[in-house]
Amino acid sequence: MNEKLVNLMADLKEKETIALVRELIDGGTDPSGILDDARSAMELVGKRFEKCEYFIPDLMMAGEILKGISEIVRPLLQKSEASTKKGKVLIGTVAGDIHDIGKDIVTFMLDVSGFDVLDLGIDVPPEVFVEKAKAFQPQVVGLSGFLTLAFDSMKKTVEALQQAGLRDKVKIMIGGGQIDDEVRKYVHADAYGKDAVAGVQLCREWIGG
Amino acid sequence: MQRMDWGMTVKEEAAGLYKQREKRVNDAIRLKKPDRVPIVSATEMFFIRSAGLTIAEAMYNYEKMAEAWKTSMRRYNWDMAPLQHAIRSGPVMELLGIKTFKWPGYDLPENSSYQWIEREYMGADEYDEFLKNPADFTIRKLMPRMATTLEPLEKMPPITWMAAGYTLLAILPTLAGIPAIQELMDKLKRAGEEKAKWDRAQQKLGEDLNEMGYPLFTYGVTYCAFDWISDCLRGMKGSMLDMYRQPDKLKATIELLEPMTIEMAIASAVKGGIERVFLPLHRGAAGFMNDKQFAEFYWPSLKRLILALIDKALTPVPFFEGEYTPRLAYLAELPPGKVLGHFDKIDRRKCKEVLGNVMCFWGNVPSSLFIAGTPEQIKEHVKELIDIFADNGGLIIDASTTGPPPEARPENVEAMTEAVFEYGKN
Repeated sequence: MNEKLVNLMADLKEKETIALVRELIDGGTDPSGILDDARSAMELVGKRFEKCEYFIPDLMMAGEILKGISEIVRPLLQKSEASTKKGKVLIGTVAGDIHDIGKDIVTFMLDVSGFDVLDLGIDVPPEVFVEKAKAFQPQVVGLSGFLTLAFDSMKKTVEALQQAGLRDKVKIMIGGGQIDDEVRKYVHADAYGKDAVAGVQLCREWIGG
Repeated sequence: MQRMDWGMTVKEEAAGLYKQREKRVNDAIRLKKPDRVPIVSATEMFFIRSAGLTIAEAMYNYEKMAEAWKTSMRRYNWDMAPLQHAIRSGPVMELLGIKTFKWPGYDLPENSSYQWIEREYMGADEYDEFLKNPADFTIRKLMPRMATTLEPLEKMPPITWMAAGYTLLAILPTLAGIPAIQELMDKLKRAGEEKAKWDRAQQKLGEDLNEMGYPLFTYGVTYCAFDWISDCLRGMKGSMLDMYRQPDKLKATIELLEPMTIEMAIASAVKGGIERVFLPLHRGAAGFMNDKQFAEFYWPSLKRLILALIDKALTPVPFFEGEYTPRLAYLAELPPGKVLGHFDKIDRRKCKEVLGNVMCFWGNVPSSLFIAGTPEQIKEHVKELIDIFADNGGLIIDASTTGPPPEARPENVEAMTEAVFEYGKN
């Protein structure tokens, strides 16, 4: 592990991190090792988020740095090096709601934490969640919503999964600005996550990894 | 004139109630004990839904909207009438070809809330251009990006070219003769007529509410400079990355916009004749930036805005959307009894401890409960808020977001009013 790289990235020093990655690549360092270091840095970022040292802008900046590193490193990797995923998560913003920022952060954090995430986008009707759940066979379904109208859309989505006979096969987590435990009960979800890291933790508890 | 049993006309009675309510709310804001804890809500869509109207109908039929508003006002009987900041005229939005919103009755289901479409309307590489000539950038770049009707403006020459009288005469009529510009002017004319109709309906609604004995709560509204940039120009992600990648340009833009946020507030307060000015705040909440970023990019301009309004004898009403507990120490810098703070998520007891002698506390009955909870749960929250905050008078009751959400169950909202009348008497 290159501690300097991990720390630079975890400290969100974008220019310095990217410069170091280029330097390492030019010096013949194994590109997959660099990606491992980037993942270690993301873990540190996640821990700092949990400790309330980092917040959403920091996650976004870390995501940008990771994107920058991937762009340099990915073309140099052998295809077979793709790592096996920990489990599958289906995610989307529920019907009637077009907010995507929170959902995108959760998707990103799940992805870097090694989960196979299928993001259905925004304003997703219950029947689409059902259809995609059948095809993708996730262990976890994540329902996102910022507006209060999302409560009923979430409820209907959970009911639709139930009617399709999928309710026992998946864990359902919900999240968004006005979501709390009362809403979780109302919606009949298994849990709510107050932020992206909490969402990742739920998936870890349910799926492992 | 109909006479009440005790010899007062309905009109006199309403006028008396109006005065009582105005005093009740003002006492609370000044941290003086009112006769009863006031209840004022910033709700918008709920008033419409509760009266049996769809949100689409309210945006397209101004008379029906006004009737619904009055019906709900009578039913929930709060101390002041919420005034629409968010409900807009659907026809005006259509005539302008607004691209920044989706709304019910147009491209959303009839009972959906209208929704802002957040994009990078200004690119990461356009700060310099905006800073150099904000008006020109607004007219020729931003307006065409925000409304289809205004798209022909992107073909205009730089506005400053017309600063000379010779060029004004040469350029302006030529522009006015271009078919696309003529079509634009025609649509703007119709939008203007429609907006005037909307304004007249709003004016009449305000007068009717006053006659019913309900003062209007707010009219003027303004934004914090960082939110203006984050919501409307750069988007949440764009503005957040700018804090790292181009902090100086971001700060220069905040400095440019800050005086305008103050002027906008004063102008709208003067127009409406109401001293309370609504400041919906978005991106300064805990979680949306760290403490250092709040101190660097958000708080200085927000504080100057609030102080400038107080200086003009206005009452700033910031809506602290999101979690604000970690920001309490900053808010304690404000002068006592001059600000009404609407709180969404907050540690109540800590807030009382830090801000109890600084600003009147408004809101915080969890909005989710109005949909997913029971009247008893609502009453418990109202009671707890009164127990914690009401001793020095600095409390006004409302839901945690701007009023009960559109989907709120009416019996839960009634429970909030009832609880205030039951427990809130001093």
